[in-house]
Amino acid sequence: MRKFFHIVTFKNRMFWKVTFSRSAQSVIKNTGSFIVYGSFAIGAFFFSRFLTAYLLENVRIGLFLFHRFMSMLFFVFFVTINLGNMVVSFSTLYRSPEVNFMLTKPVPHLTIFIIKFLDNFFYSSGTLFLAGFSVLLGYGSYFGFPWHFYVFVMFGVLVPFMFLAGCTAVIILLGLMKLASKVNFKTLVAALVIFYIAQIYFYFDVSSPIHLVREVMRYYPNVDLYLGQLDPPVSKYMPNFWISQIFFFYIAGNHGTVVGYFSLLLLSTAAAFIALVVVGDRLFYSTWLTSLSFKSFSIKNFELTGNIFSFRSRSRLSPQTESLLKREYWQFFRDPSQWIHLLVMLFLVGIFLSSVTSMDFGLQDPKLRTAVYLVVYIFDAFLITSIALRFAFPMMSLEGDAYWTIRSSPIRPSKVYWTKFFVVLWPLFILGLTLAVLSNYPYILLPPLPQVATVEMALIAVSLVSLNFGLGSYFANYDEKNPIRIASSQGATLTFLLSIVLLVLLVGVFFFPILAVFNSIYFQIPRKDSWLYDALAIVGVFSAFVAAVAHSVGVRALRRDI
Amino acid sequence: MITLKNLTKKFGSFTAVDDLSLAVPEGEFFGFLGPNGAGKTTTIKMMTGLFTPTSGSIVINGYDVQKNPLEAKSTFGYIPDQPFLYDKLTGREFLFYIGGLFNMPKEECRREIEQLIEHFEIGDWVDKRTEEYSQGMRQRITITAAFLHNPRTIIIDEPMVGLDPRSARIVKDSLKTKSKEGVSIFMSTHSLEMVEELCDRIGIIKEGRLIFLDSRENLHHHKSKYDGRLESVFLELTK
Repeated sequence: MRKFFHIVTFKNRMFWKVTFSRSAQSVIKNTGSFIVYGSFAIGAFFFSRFLTAYLLENVRIGLFLFHRFMSMLFFVFFVTINLGNMVVSFSTLYRSPEVNFMLTKPVPHLTIFIIKFLDNFFYSSGTLFLAGFSVLLGYGSYFGFPWHFYVFVMFGVLVPFMFLAGCTAVIILLGLMKLASKVNFKTLVAALVIFYIAQIYFYFDVSSPIHLVREVMRYYPNVDLYLGQLDPPVSKYMPNFWISQIFFFYIAGNHGTVVGYFSLLLLSTAAAFIALVVVGDRLFYSTWLTSLSFKSFSIKNFELTGNIFSFRSRSRLSPQTESLLKREYWQFFRDPSQWIHLLVMLFLVGIFLSSVTSMDFGLQDPKLRTAVYLVVYIFDAFLITSIALRFAFPMMSLEGDAYWTIRSSPIRPSKVYWTKFFVVLWPLFILGLTLAVLSNYPYILLPPLPQVATVEMALIAVSLVSLNFGLGSYFANYDEKNPIRIASSQGATLTFLLSIVLLVLLVGVFFFPILAVFNSIYFQIPRKDSWLYDALAIVGVFSAFVAAVAHSVGVRALRRDI
Repeated sequence: MITLKNLTKKFGSFTAVDDLSLAVPEGEFFGFLGPNGAGKTTTIKMMTGLFTPTSGSIVINGYDVQKNPLEAKSTFGYIPDQPFLYDKLTGREFLFYIGGLFNMPKEECRREIEQLIEHFEIGDWVDKRTEEYSQGMRQRITITAAFLHNPRTIIIDEPMVGLDPRSARIVKDSLKTKSKEGVSIFMSTHSLEMVEELCDRIGIIKEGRLIFLDSRENLHHHKSKYDGRLESVFLELTK
């Protein structure tokens, strides 16, 4: 334990020194982060409070259904933390120079494992914790809970819940790494992806929200009652269900049941941590050794030769552009963590598109139609944001230590910047257009709405990719090789929050013009299409401004000392 | 031809390079010595465009590195102290990539690469990905890359790190040959033997300031004041 605390003390010291350095740049960065994080937390708080009030007072779904929806959200939250921890743990446990260094010192493997696990957990869960806690604060404030409720939620509910998700993620990872010595690694990754998709599908199939709403509404107006007989039996074993039960029975004043579920959550978390320690003790070092053989494996399997991207092939492009493009191509497609992640994201986009295009809402109320339209539209933009964060943000950092080749060569940094930007822009631009066209398919008979919405999405795609790429260049970390870690760094989180604010603003501009379209249909009054064009002009100007600022910051950052 | 004039680099209140002035004429092999943290790598990073000087100027082959960076960079080759490469490229692809950055026509690039692969004896593994390379193999690739566009100046930061004796010999001979052909070479190193063997002139930097600058011939005179060894001169000057 002495070694554990010795290492943790030094890591802690280093963290505070790096994070809160007194340099002007650091102060500006931290102030900016504080403002963005703070604004995000306040926004999430009010949004959650408003939504709670809206669902319980206007839509009157009742406390039972409300907490079942909460349970579903916590399920998604659990899976997100779980997957995030698994992906980041792979790099922190098996690809980290720090682990290599510590393994050469007389430090027990288990100590290294636990330190890196905790390091990883706090690194990858901070933003999610902030989001989750802000939402629960909004929820609690609606019910007027006392201050100790929030302390209880933070330390008694949210932290154990997230820790449980983190522990199970790393146990699964260690199991996978153990299997990887016997089974093809690609097959394992594919199996894992299928497992998670199947898990999500199975959960929503079993908990069937539509069926649940129908069943609960049979009891209307007594929908605040506990209707536990409607819960599928399997859900009772899930931590997200326990949390929703804790909140439901807290409101109902049934503190005995609250304590019961709270104990269940704590015991499960403790059991998961003990299991993690046991499994880590047995498997960490042996799987670390196994991971060393992955490099040569991937080399044999992803070698591609004799195509237009071969460096030997001639090209009509200038030698510099050709070199940069070919290098980007090979760096991306020879790195499984890049293209596998891209495939998974495109698969999810595909699922989303297939559901949106075949959706018949059958709604009449103009406000509701506007809300549904904008929710789908925001989700389109959110998908672009997520992909931009994952692929555009890390692009400059991925130059890595080899960036000296560019800085010492006769090539303008701005040329490198723009070449890389267009490499990442065009696929996301096409994706944005595809999303806009397909999600506007149900509105095809309402021109010019689909056309204007498509152009707007193109503008949003450009501004979001610009923002992520520009700030990715500004926050470039050439020491980090893992794109997933780069995309979950502090700078990336800040960029993500800014992107969310930006996309809400850009889509929000369309609220009244779209409401006017649906009002005109419902009330059979003349349409005001000019409003759509006005909104489009505002989005165009704002997008251009955001893109210009992001690029200006990004290009300048390339001239910094390295 | 390299001219450094009143070159200074500050990091906050710390002065890494302090009013450094020196000139390396065409065809000269210049050895740049100094203890750890003396400012050698900082000087080289300013010369190659990786750092911006706080003040002063650097002119390489007639081009000011700050005012005409592209022209200046096209005339020199750089071998860094750490041979970082793009992991997913093969050694040969890396060389083509560097050739492209230097705007070399494809045919010329291919021809030069073939010749250099043979010259530096890297053909056995040049088509493997660089993530598989040892430190020495990576170093040999960066040295090969620096020779690729036939530079008029070569700037080297610790060239022998990780090289086996045979590779070290090839590199030394190649550098000496280049120097005789008129290429100016600016080499930072800790290897006093190498300096004695190769360099025409030597500069010693300490705490950012040039404290010694003389030719190899005159160095023998300085050595004779001590015990006849360059090491003793170096230790005395830098203590």
